[in-house]
Amino acid sequence: MNKTTIIRIKNGKKYFFRFSVNQRIQHVILATCVVVLVLTGMPLKFHYTFWAQYLYTMFGGIHMAPIIHRMAGVILIILFIYHLLYLIRTIWKGQILPLKQREGLSIVKLIRLLVNQPLIPNLKDLRDIIDLLKYLFFISAERPKGAQFTWKEKFDYWAPFWGIVIIGASGAVMWGKEIATRWLPGEIINFALIAHSDEALLAALFLFIWHWYNVHFSTSVFPMGTAFLTGYLSEELMIEEHYEYYVEVMKREGFEHEILPPHGGGQDSTNMKTKEEVVSASELPRIL
Amino acid sequence: MLKVTCRSIVTIWSFCSFFLLLTFQNSFGADIGNCLLCHKYPGLSRVDENGKLRLLYINEAVFNTSMHAKVKCEGCHTDIQKIPHDPAKKVDCLTQCHIVEPSSEQKFSHKDVAEFLQKSVHSPVDADGNPKPFPEDFPDCKKCHDNPLYRPMSFNKMMLPGISETALGRCRVCHKKDDFIYQFYNHVTTRLRRSRNPKNIAESCARCHDDTKLMKRHNLSTKAVYSYGESFHGKAATFLDERIPDCLDCHVNPGESVHQMLSYKNPLSAVSLQNRGRICATAECHPRATPKMAEYQVHAEFNLNQSPVRYYFTVFFIALTGGTLLPLMGIIFLDCLRRLFPNAGLIQRKKKHE
Repeated sequence: MNKTTIIRIKNGKKYFFRFSVNQRIQHVILATCVVVLVLTGMPLKFHYTFWAQYLYTMFGGIHMAPIIHRMAGVILIILFIYHLLYLIRTIWKGQILPLKQREGLSIVKLIRLLVNQPLIPNLKDLRDIIDLLKYLFFISAERPKGAQFTWKEKFDYWAPFWGIVIIGASGAVMWGKEIATRWLPGEIINFALIAHSDEALLAALFLFIWHWYNVHFSTSVFPMGTAFLTGYLSEELMIEEHYEYYVEVMKREGFEHEILPPHGGGQDSTNMKTKEEVVSASELPRIL
Repeated sequence: MLKVTCRSIVTIWSFCSFFLLLTFQNSFGADIGNCLLCHKYPGLSRVDENGKLRLLYINEAVFNTSMHAKVKCEGCHTDIQKIPHDPAKKVDCLTQCHIVEPSSEQKFSHKDVAEFLQKSVHSPVDADGNPKPFPEDFPDCKKCHDNPLYRPMSFNKMMLPGISETALGRCRVCHKKDDFIYQFYNHVTTRLRRSRNPKNIAESCARCHDDTKLMKRHNLSTKAVYSYGESFHGKAATFLDERIPDCLDCHVNPGESVHQMLSYKNPLSAVSLQNRGRICATAECHPRATPKMAEYQVHAEFNLNQSPVRYYFTVFFIALTGGTLLPLMGIIFLDCLRRLFPNAGLIQRKKKHE
């Protein structure tokens, strides 16, 4: 990738590449399916509430809502399979083949390569969580200096990953119960219902509380982060959330003299600026 | 006291008589004794000997679309011979009424149903005729039945509920009396399915089967209707799906009456272990189901004794949900708080002091 792709400068502001068009389309499909699945699934889980009838009726009631739910589920599973193939292809073409051509491939190298993928949880995430707790409890004034993907984003990624496997498999068992129970005991339907319903509730709450807080409701991004639409993240948010990666990219792209210090009063070793300069450079929305 | 009662009766009688001419045109065919003269007034009620308020109002429009619309009042309330009458006795559903059963041309009674009930799981006596423990807990007719309304089916293209004028047009070719046509159509098409929807059936069964004390007396530990409500069948029933199986679809053998329901322990019961598979695999439900599918626990409860594996499986998901969300929500709370004082921090302050 060239420099303008990774750091785009518009009206004097730097924007950092995060997601390709392909990834953004995947996210939009995922988000749409999840919202539809939640809206057509939760009235069944909470069938005894006053709102369930109204919500279900909006989707055509008991005759239509289950069909919409299953259609959204099928699209989501197709997306999941596509995403797996996309991942395999991206890693194979972008990393494994070059490694093979460069220095040959062995199982150890392959495992090391896979373990070092940016979305795989690692010890740095644990350190970041500890640093975040220190920051949140006012022990430290510095936010953790996040890598390309922070532990929050890894959580956001792996939670639906696990969720789709559990919810998809259990949903398939309930949908094809006659076929599933040819080989499996009938009680599998009971387990499928528990797993489907409870995991779906967890996924919905996780997404609508945790994920939406981080990308919509937090004062840094309110009312909405735009990276999922534009594919680029502003410099302010890069500094706030991905400082380590920010410094790395800035150096790699030849902007080492323009690196800003981290938020929260900490200092970066590569570039010293006064606090006033930092504040004027930062457009991060603050409520105080 | 007697004077007051007499005066009240006379007042009501006069009041009713005042509207006699106005209501005459709406008089109901089966109301030969003109009982609705008084009973059609909303609010007509009395407090009985047990201090219970008895509403004596009969909604004529509703009654006319009910299954007993053609039975005259005295047909069931046999003790009422004069107006004004004394407090009426409880209706005995086994009374022979004036209706003639057309296939046998005999006077109609529900006696056959009572005989079915005597041999069913809901009988207050056992197979040897000895009373079961707590016989008063077992249901009589009126415990489950009120006076159900006709729910006629339309055979008109989209299967809309209600009378199909297209079908009635065919009836009118031979039958001349519209009253008869409507009555017959209502009766037959209502009987093509249950007179209540699955939700109502479940609610009816719940009167006893969700009564924890009553179930405990009969060593029935499950909250059967509650657990049915938590199954997909029950949830669909909540959303008024008519296609979904209710309690009776599974617990009654095909071709038998609900009054012949047997205990699940009885090998002849529809839900006995050996018969369950057949019930699930009926043509209307899951025709491709194997007997294994019937191992599905419709009445699954969050109960350690019923299934420890299922219990701990549920506990795992509860713990997973709580264990995931609570810490994250804690972080969100702290983050909101922290954003009020973005540059505060003990370590930084220390450095500044140094």
